Amino acid sequence: MSEAAALAAWLGAAIILLADGRRGLALGLAVMAAGLAGVAFAVGQQLTGGALLAGGVLAAALRWRTGPDGWGLMQPGSTPRIILTVVIGLVALYFAASLASGDGAAVRFAPLACLALAGARLLQGAERAAALTAASALVLALGAGSLLGPSGSLPAAVVAALIAAGASALPATEPHGA
Amino acid sequence: MEPELAVALPAAGAACATALRPRPRLALSLGALLGAGGLAAVVLSAPGAASDLLGITLSLSAPSRSMLIVAAAALAFVVVLAPQNAERSSLLRWGLAGLAGMAAIAVAPTLDVSVMVLLALVVLQAAVPGRRASARRLRAPALAVALLGLGLLFARMPGPPALERLGAVGLVAGLVAALGALPYMHEFDPEELTATSPIPWLAFVGPLLAVVVLTRARDLVPTAAGALGAMLIGLGLLNIVWGCISSWRTELGAAAWRYSFIADWGLALCGFGLGLTEGWSGALLVLYSVLLGRLPLYLWSRQPLREKVQTDRPINLLVAAALAGSAPFAGFTARILLLRGATALYWPLALVLAATLLLWVPSSLRLGRTLGMPNGRQLAGVVVALALNVALGLYPQPLLSLAGL
Repeated sequence: MSEAAALAAWLGAAIILLADGRRGLALGLAVMAAGLAGVAFAVGQQLTGGALLAGGVLAAALRWRTGPDGWGLMQPGSTPRIILTVVIGLVALYFAASLASGDGAAVRFAPLACLALAGARLLQGAERAAALTAASALVLALGAGSLLGPSGSLPAAVVAALIAAGASALPATEPHGA
Repeated sequence: MEPELAVALPAAGAACATALRPRPRLALSLGALLGAGGLAAVVLSAPGAASDLLGITLSLSAPSRSMLIVAAAALAFVVVLAPQNAERSSLLRWGLAGLAGMAAIAVAPTLDVSVMVLLALVVLQAAVPGRRASARRLRAPALAVALLGLGLLFARMPGPPALERLGAVGLVAGLVAALGALPYMHEFDPEELTATSPIPWLAFVGPLLAVVVLTRARDLVPTAAGALGAMLIGLGLLNIVWGCISSWRTELGAAAWRYSFIADWGLALCGFGLGLTEGWSGALLVLYSVLLGRLPLYLWSRQPLREKVQTDRPINLLVAAALAGSAPFAGFTARILLLRGATALYWPLALVLAATLLLWVPSSLRLGRTLGMPNGRQLAGVVVALALNVALGLYPQPLLSLAGL
């Protein structure tokens, strides 16, 4: 269960990296949030998972409404991005499952891969909707990362959900003056 | 007093000042009142005392509390003696929003939440209309958040010590990226408004963020503390040399000021990296002098820079002396403390630091001239900034005691 959820989180973040349209970005965010929530559920953190899922789905719904039209998935010239998603996935898997020890590789892999993919999206994005979606993904991944911490992960997940939804609620068009 | 109020009151002040934009005087009065309430909440809060009003344990450490107080004082100082062309209510609005974010970063229960609040601040700053596209403004500080997040993950993964060292790399890289120091310099447009430029990260939010990240990093990567310190010292020396030389040689005056902030950050990073009380004291003094000296002086230099006015009057030389860290200004005391710390840790480092201190002279002389011929409010502001710097240089202990040092 947790491995499938972690894979879904990576897939969602990969879609965010590969999409340029609002629907693709929203789909990626929703899948990633569902995956991160699944990982939290699998380790018995239902409230944390619920907060991450709620924040992610709300952010995805807001993104679905505004941004560049269409899906914009894997447009011409996106080969380097496809390679990047695979490379980041493999490197994250190496750190989470091979280098780190102990149970819970999925809890380590999902936030690590999502953080790296969202960071990569922010670095390459010249478009506001994609950058804000990546920011939402980044904060959700941080929220999931708090599952590894010694203290409770629920406050971090609630804050992450609020910020993710808030970032997606901002206007997708560049404000006057830019 | 509860730390929740330290966040809520400045945030309410920023919201009121935004809502009342068409009526600047009312916005200024209400914002100032709520901001003063926030400052009172910080001053009256007991360092380390936890509060659980919201169901989350919030507390304010002594160094964060001192940095918040100094940042609030710097904001009040800049708003009261605002540059002639700047709108006071706008300055207050941006300052209070930053202060609320900084208070939230400081009182957050874990570093995860602090980093999330940092991301919220980054997104809000990028959402403001500016000369550069928001996606471009978001890029560098959001990379900082990603690096800090990776650092946190690596630090918490069970496994070989290499993972903890990777965590330390992530935390240091993330901190330096958030500040916009080398090797993660933010894109800079000299004509941009200060609120939407990288300057607030270097000179307003940055000092508190550094204190929060480095205070909590000690507990996160205990076995990699040496590596963390070595990275901070290395990056600090790099930023000193690069910042001083660029500030002296670059063509644009605004860019020269920006590099001078980076040079000061180099000193502060070295101080934090030393890990000794003297190092921390020196680093905090450098950051206090950035907040109470270099930042206001930069704001007052904006108009003369646009008008390309440069003068060599005694006041310009005094400003240059303060910026260069000569006695009796705060920079001098900070440098003495850093040299003492470096001598205690590893004397060749003190030798290198002492040699780099000379680099501040040419750039500071240049920056002093860019203030032009201050008059009216600007002159009063420069005099107060210099007086505060002298007071900090002669009697640093009250503020250092406030920081628990």
